[in-house]
Amino acid sequence: MVRYIAQRLLDAIPTIFLILTLVFVAMRILPGDPAIAALGDNALPEQIAEFRERMGLNVPLWQQYFNFLWGIFSLDLGRSLLSNTPVTQLIATYLPYTLELTLFAMILGVAGGIPLGVFAAVNRNKWPDNAIRGYNLIGYAIPDFYLGALLLIFFALNLGWFPIGGVGSGDIWSRIHAVFLPALTLAFVKTAFLGRLTRTSLLEVFGKDYIRTARAKGARENRVVYRHGLRNALLPISTGFGLSLLSTLSGSVAIELVFNRPGIGRMLISAIAERDYAVVQGGIIVFALFVVLINLLMDLVYVIIDPRIRVTK
Amino acid sequence: MGINRRTFLELTAASTALTAIGTSSAMAQDTDVIRIGIAANGPRHSDPNLTTQGSDNWATEQVYEQLVRPEDGRFALSPEDWVPTLATEWSASADAKTWTFKLREGVQFHRGYGEMTSEDVVFSFRRAIDTGTNRTILANIAEVTANGPYEVTIRLHAPDVNLLGTSIFNNNTSIVSKAAFEEIGAEAFATDAVGTGPYQLVSFEPNFGMRLQRHEDYWGDAAIVSRVECVYIADTTARTLALLSGDVDMIEAVRAPGWIDSMLGRDPTLKIDMTVPGSFNTLHINLTREPFNDIRVRQAIMYALDREAVAAALAPMGGTMHGLQPAFFPAGFEADDLPEELQYRHNPQRARELLAEAGYPNGIEFEANCSQREDYSSTMLIVQEQFRAAGINMTLNIGDHTAYHADNRTDKNTLAMHASSYPPIPTQIYFQQLASASQVKADGTGGGNYSHYGIEMPGIDDLLQQALEATDYDEYIRICEEIELQVLRDLPLIGLSTLSFTAVRNANVDLGYEVQSGYARWRFHRATKSA
Repeated sequence: MVRYIAQRLLDAIPTIFLILTLVFVAMRILPGDPAIAALGDNALPEQIAEFRERMGLNVPLWQQYFNFLWGIFSLDLGRSLLSNTPVTQLIATYLPYTLELTLFAMILGVAGGIPLGVFAAVNRNKWPDNAIRGYNLIGYAIPDFYLGALLLIFFALNLGWFPIGGVGSGDIWSRIHAVFLPALTLAFVKTAFLGRLTRTSLLEVFGKDYIRTARAKGARENRVVYRHGLRNALLPISTGFGLSLLSTLSGSVAIELVFNRPGIGRMLISAIAERDYAVVQGGIIVFALFVVLINLLMDLVYVIIDPRIRVTK
Repeated sequence: MGINRRTFLELTAASTALTAIGTSSAMAQDTDVIRIGIAANGPRHSDPNLTTQGSDNWATEQVYEQLVRPEDGRFALSPEDWVPTLATEWSASADAKTWTFKLREGVQFHRGYGEMTSEDVVFSFRRAIDTGTNRTILANIAEVTANGPYEVTIRLHAPDVNLLGTSIFNNNTSIVSKAAFEEIGAEAFATDAVGTGPYQLVSFEPNFGMRLQRHEDYWGDAAIVSRVECVYIADTTARTLALLSGDVDMIEAVRAPGWIDSMLGRDPTLKIDMTVPGSFNTLHINLTREPFNDIRVRQAIMYALDREAVAAALAPMGGTMHGLQPAFFPAGFEADDLPEELQYRHNPQRARELLAEAGYPNGIEFEANCSQREDYSSTMLIVQEQFRAAGINMTLNIGDHTAYHADNRTDKNTLAMHASSYPPIPTQIYFQQLASASQVKADGTGGGNYSHYGIEMPGIDDLLQQALEATDYDEYIRICEEIELQVLRDLPLIGLSTLSFTAVRNANVDLGYEVQSGYARWRFHRATKSA
């Protein structure tokens, strides 16, 4: 197993390398000058030239690229062109907030989505099923930044149940209080996605012979649904969970802006707008690493869920 | 799942209780803190020598001071308007090249870094000249010397009758503690600089903003409210909701048509503070591109523009400029004070006639780039419609703000709008946007003269040089007025409109003074806040 994990991590290196190269090239192709973004519209030519020299932007592109790669190998992601703060320090500051939001959104998404899917499958084609399918459609259709604004207006502004933004004070309840609404926003679409997936998987499993046999043996419906049905439907649900986790992570970009939460997403948006190359590259590295890790994690989860799947060399 | 009457009542009671708790917590504001929602993602620096993000100045304005300042909420429109601050007296030599400042005694730096002396002033200026973000303007300073502990002399390479506005009241030349800099170190000082202002920096938090606390040993009247928090909220909706919910007391406004009305529609008690003029919106006509090298076409553009209507559309933030300065600024003109032929009152028919005279009886068509930022796009869309009525069909390519400026800087625009804030020192806009030395270049090494004025046709370089060398303020203004008239005759650059910097605050916060003009930040030391 350890060898398998190591092999998968090694396999990921070319992917990450490719992503880094693409990001490096994309940022340089984008029109816009970080010197003007940093110094303002009225910056004089001498100021711009001095800034470019100080930030290493005056050397040829290939040299910037090798400097960038060398930095990564030596675990130095460079410094923000705008604030001069080390990118690793920025990531260390912002990443915990993004992880906190993602974690809470996934907890809410799973806690809502799977029971809804089960309930819909058990009541197939009855009104609860139709209602849940309607909810799923809304969940897919509504943009999360729009939903976020609606929830903010209703629950935070009008009812005052939640803070308008921020991350709360130091204590855990304040943090949970602050993260709940943005997490709920992200969880809304996750619930719809996981609910629909659970329903479909369960309905497929319900048609299997062993379910018919269990019912014929007189097993209680709860046992049929949860022990025989849901357990066997978990494999596709776990795939959906992995995809959902990745989309939650990427969805946090807009939600962090709407709820004014610090995080990697907000950091990236701002850095892209201001052409802060080093920060964009650092942020993308974080997201790329998460994609690799989550995929690996899901592969391992398959093995645990379904003993018929074996890790091979 | 069923819901019985008992459950329903329990849920209703819980909701009511939560609503009450929520409402009271939102209303229960601490009256000893002013929280301002700032339109940016996070602070970059607190060191006034390094600030490049305008929004950071909301904090630096409270924490740092210069030798002289204007009155709160105003620009200094003439040399008499400057208020003694860290200097109590000053004088200039007859040639305006040597300036002497007598320093205020007993001024204490924050956090116990001791009394400010001439050593700190010399250090602060030296640092600004060597490493500041505004070195070009400060390059005129040849030498700063201390004459004892409470006097400094500044010697200039060339005369500057506006020294107080160009170099003394300047972020970079805020006075910081030399001892603190040496103890804290240059890198940490970037987010932990020590000044003399009515508030001192308590914390610089990239994921929140900046927290300030009253400077108890302030040389003047101590700040009334003990704390200020600069909370960074880039998203417009989040910032608006934060104000309406009482999470913050004040926010930087969105400078787009209708925004103020919509805010007042939500809460008519809100107070609006605006600086006039705010930013100067200018239009650069690229003289290297046909048909814009023809003065008749440029005049047609001028007649096609209804500058009053542009300002009205941006009301209450919009204002008009009849030249390149607002009327109440030095060298500014009211329309009626200009010669008739330079007033260019809105006349689409005259615009069509001029185009026909220039050989374009069917009008002209061209493309122009525009930034997607609200103030740019809304203004240029209005201009586009006005042009259309005069037979000038302008296709606008609206795109990313950073890319827009990069394109302008590489001479890729035909009619470039530029929004920038200027103090009442007319030569600053002339130098940056009209001088041949600032001509834009295709390789990006040029400056902000996107029209190529002074290169494609004779410009104002000689007059500008005379103004910059003037040793008498009145003579300086007279030359600037001459420049204004010449630019109106040649039309390389059009003063389109002004757009006020605006902040909206809840009615329970009183700034203690009226905001009239000035840069896009104001001080809170006289502010009070009621429950």
